[in-house]
Amino acid sequence: MSMANVSTHYISEKVARVRWLPEQLQQSERFVTGSWDMDRNFVRLWRLQSNQYATATESDNVDNVPRCMDKVAMEDDVTAMEFVDKDTLAVSCADGHLSVFNVQRAVEEDQMQRTARSERLHCFQRSQESAPCTDLSVYGTDIATAGEDGCVNIVSVGNVRQVKRTIEADSMALFSICYISQHELVAANRMGVIRMLDGRVATEAQPKLTFMVASQDDKSSNFVSSLSTHPMQQHILLCGSEEGSITVWDLRNLNYPASYLSAHKSPINEIGFHRKDPSKLFTAAEGGEVWMWSENKVLGCDSSKKDGNSPWLSGDRVRSLVDVEGVLTNIRKAVNSFDVHGSRLVCGGDTEAVYLVDNIA
Amino acid sequence: MNDSNVPAFELGDSLATRCGNTLTGVFLPGSRIALSAYRHVTHKSRDTPTETAGQDPVLIYLAQETTLFDEPVLRSVLAEANATFATLQQLGPRTTRAEYVNISRAYRSIVRSCLEKLEQAKKSPDVQTDEPRLRRFSDAIVVFYAAECLWHLFEILYIQNNQLVVPQLLDWARFHSPQTEDRATDLLLMAEEASESDDYWSILKSLIMLGEIDVTRAILSQNRKTGQPAFKAAELILKSMPVYQEGYALQKFHSQWEYWHVDTERKIQSGVFATEPELELVIQLVVGNSEQWDAGIKESQDCYEYLPGYLLSTKPTCKPFELRIAAANWLNRWHLLRPERELCSMNRMVAQLMDHDIKLFIYEAQKLNDTHWFSTHLIDLIHHCGQLKSYFDQNNIDLPALRHSMIYEYGSYLMTSHNLWQLGIDYLDCCKQEGQAAIELLLPRISLRSERQATKLINLARQRGLTSVEQEICKVLSKQSYDKERYGNALEWAIRSKDVLLVTADADFILKHYSRTGNMLCPDTIANVGGRMFISPRLVFLSKYYEFYEFYRTRDFLSASELLVNLLESRITPDYFWPSLLIDSMPLLESKDPKIFAKETVAILHHIETELVPIIERDVSKYGNHHTETVFKDYRVENVDEILNLMRLACARNLARALIIENAMPVA
Repeated sequence: MSMANVSTHYISEKVARVRWLPEQLQQSERFVTGSWDMDRNFVRLWRLQSNQYATATESDNVDNVPRCMDKVAMEDDVTAMEFVDKDTLAVSCADGHLSVFNVQRAVEEDQMQRTARSERLHCFQRSQESAPCTDLSVYGTDIATAGEDGCVNIVSVGNVRQVKRTIEADSMALFSICYISQHELVAANRMGVIRMLDGRVATEAQPKLTFMVASQDDKSSNFVSSLSTHPMQQHILLCGSEEGSITVWDLRNLNYPASYLSAHKSPINEIGFHRKDPSKLFTAAEGGEVWMWSENKVLGCDSSKKDGNSPWLSGDRVRSLVDVEGVLTNIRKAVNSFDVHGSRLVCGGDTEAVYLVDNIA
Repeated sequence: MNDSNVPAFELGDSLATRCGNTLTGVFLPGSRIALSAYRHVTHKSRDTPTETAGQDPVLIYLAQETTLFDEPVLRSVLAEANATFATLQQLGPRTTRAEYVNISRAYRSIVRSCLEKLEQAKKSPDVQTDEPRLRRFSDAIVVFYAAECLWHLFEILYIQNNQLVVPQLLDWARFHSPQTEDRATDLLLMAEEASESDDYWSILKSLIMLGEIDVTRAILSQNRKTGQPAFKAAELILKSMPVYQEGYALQKFHSQWEYWHVDTERKIQSGVFATEPELELVIQLVVGNSEQWDAGIKESQDCYEYLPGYLLSTKPTCKPFELRIAAANWLNRWHLLRPERELCSMNRMVAQLMDHDIKLFIYEAQKLNDTHWFSTHLIDLIHHCGQLKSYFDQNNIDLPALRHSMIYEYGSYLMTSHNLWQLGIDYLDCCKQEGQAAIELLLPRISLRSERQATKLINLARQRGLTSVEQEICKVLSKQSYDKERYGNALEWAIRSKDVLLVTADADFILKHYSRTGNMLCPDTIANVGGRMFISPRLVFLSKYYEFYEFYRTRDFLSASELLVNLLESRITPDYFWPSLLIDSMPLLESKDPKIFAKETVAILHHIETELVPIIERDVSKYGNHHTETVFKDYRVENVDEILNLMRLACARNLARALIIENAMPVA
């Protein structure tokens, strides 16, 4: 990690989400950011360009500088963004709508435009005011959105104006949602309750399967701020929580959590595995930290051969099987989102800057 | 930036004009002023209604200071400076001067990169077509350019604190008058052809006056006549000009310099340059010929542009304390030569810095239209690096207090202007108790856009131990959810607020709603309250009752009845819920195979007589016998007292059966 090279770029926007553009064979050079809590919020498309001010001194050189290629104004805060395929981006917004963007890569100027905007997916029944859409999750061509109204909506990316299924999942605001299989979802609310949902059936027929995120103090609330599944073993669900801890659930056994790790001292805003290398997990916290958790190669090597025996499920022993490193520390303000592609990590937050970290691991 | 263009605001509505367009104002939080028409009334005026009362509407205007920071490009200045500010606060007492210089450079580079972004943005078509925006950009460029220039000079004179200032001052002057350098670059690129260009000699003179000896040499060496003796002699003079370097013996340098100076003068006098009058003028400038410099001053754009160059040719080893005299002399000279030019406030501030008049400088710095960005950060840096401590002591300025108040003001400004609160809070954190109190007042005023944002605010409050703020935010959200009839959400926010009364009120609402309609609101929330229920006895009751309700619903009657009896015994049952609770026991009492033991049945009977009956009696005495206005309603019965007898009967029957079964049990 001593090789990691962090560069900071101030972009005058609070970043709610950041995502690399998917690339199959090469290191991605482009990423998108969505802003929140600004007078006007934008989804921006950035591209890394070589630094024209690079100096000869090796020590603190910044090789790449992001340049804004295109931007699209949003109606309200961007709350979540996810790529559906190579150049289709789903963006959820605090006005309760879902938008689909198309990104065109070009040699000179990349472009991005909004191709569709859904009807209002989330609203408060009584007042008919829009409810913020809080998170979205993508599986294949399906997009599931969760909102503060406690509803989950499933739409197909080809036709976002038609809602495939609305599930009144919770009487409380949902904070996070994640697909665990083609039809099944988990949605977490502000009290730390995680609900299993089935995208094929209506509200009344939903399985009544709930489990709670673990907490240090069961007398106070502990919301689930971020959910993620293992990219290869989808039965492993990781929940980042308000108190900064990680609860790991083995979805085949919902009687008790598989592991519980106290990690950050502030809410975990995003949690996720490296897309290609599932031995690495990343967490970004409100307190301004990004940590990398990597499986200990020496101790964990034989367990990886035994199929389905992930170190994340090994209860109290997780700590000895996983190493933690700080990728970014002491930013002091929330890191709201990160994304890793290849050996590069990009993250952004309330410091109104994006951070590029090269040579991850 | 002039004193004359202080922003003015006039009401001009009919009411105000009636009383001679006078106005009165009140300061509001968030650096706003509420203005309205005003009529002067004293204790001597007669207390009668105005003749024109009620004719004109009373209008109240909200005036707000315009800030540059509405422009998104400029936000990065605030955000980045905030990070540098925080770094500075963390530096320990053993910090070296070099680190402070680095911090100072970091601040300047923030401004410079912002200036670059501004210049770029100014050229973009959507700004070019937008007149007010274009003006805003130009204003911002002026302000931040001045800030950088002054900061740079301040850094040279007071933070670096070198014994020699001339080389740094030259850098400073060059950076802030880039036109000459640009033109010099053109000349260099033109190579030999350059000597034909019209402004060739005037550029060379400007270069000398900026102290750019090497560039001058390079251009001269490209001249067509460079082989001629006059040019060779000039090259030699410029090449041999002694340059003082740190560590040199001063005495030795002086004698060298004197020798070179005298030698050069002698060469001029002996007519070495007679064939090249323009070249002679250049060389005269190098040796500090007053006449030539006077001519140069007349050409100059800005009063301090050529001062460092002049020092280079007349007093290259100028010390900071000597600069004061040199600068004053220079200024006088400039005034004499160009009486028509008035000093702009930036030049005034440059003069104050050179004159070591920091007090006045700080005063002027606060007038910059940058919402005190410059003065706040600079004063904070001055305070930290401690260089000027004795100056402030001598001038009776309480620097810590000044810094404190500046940071406090700046922080409160950021906290109150929307979406800058995350930056502001860091500044207020540095302000001890006042800052804490300001945070406590300002944090709950931030408008809540979404629950995610609310959780961020709560997190900030929690980090600082501001429980009251946390609770206030939770309470507001609970009330909002309640108004939106989202009772589960309201209940959870109430639990988070840790306000027992609020939780009790929410639980009461849910229980009353249930007893009225038979519908349990937000069952999913109640089912998961878990350990949080202990915040309020009413919530404990609600959770437990919900448990009973679930047992009953899933036909687990034995567990249900056990829980029911426990609830009856628990003494946390709210008065209004007694009827519902006792009615719930009816089916269990009446069931064919007894669910409730004899002892418990007696207890139920006891509760009917001691709890329900007194309540009903009280009710009757209040509303009369055939009242429909029962306080205690249950969806299953019209009038509670009607079922009293049924209840008693049910108890009696169950008691009889239970006694028989219990006593018929085989004795082991």
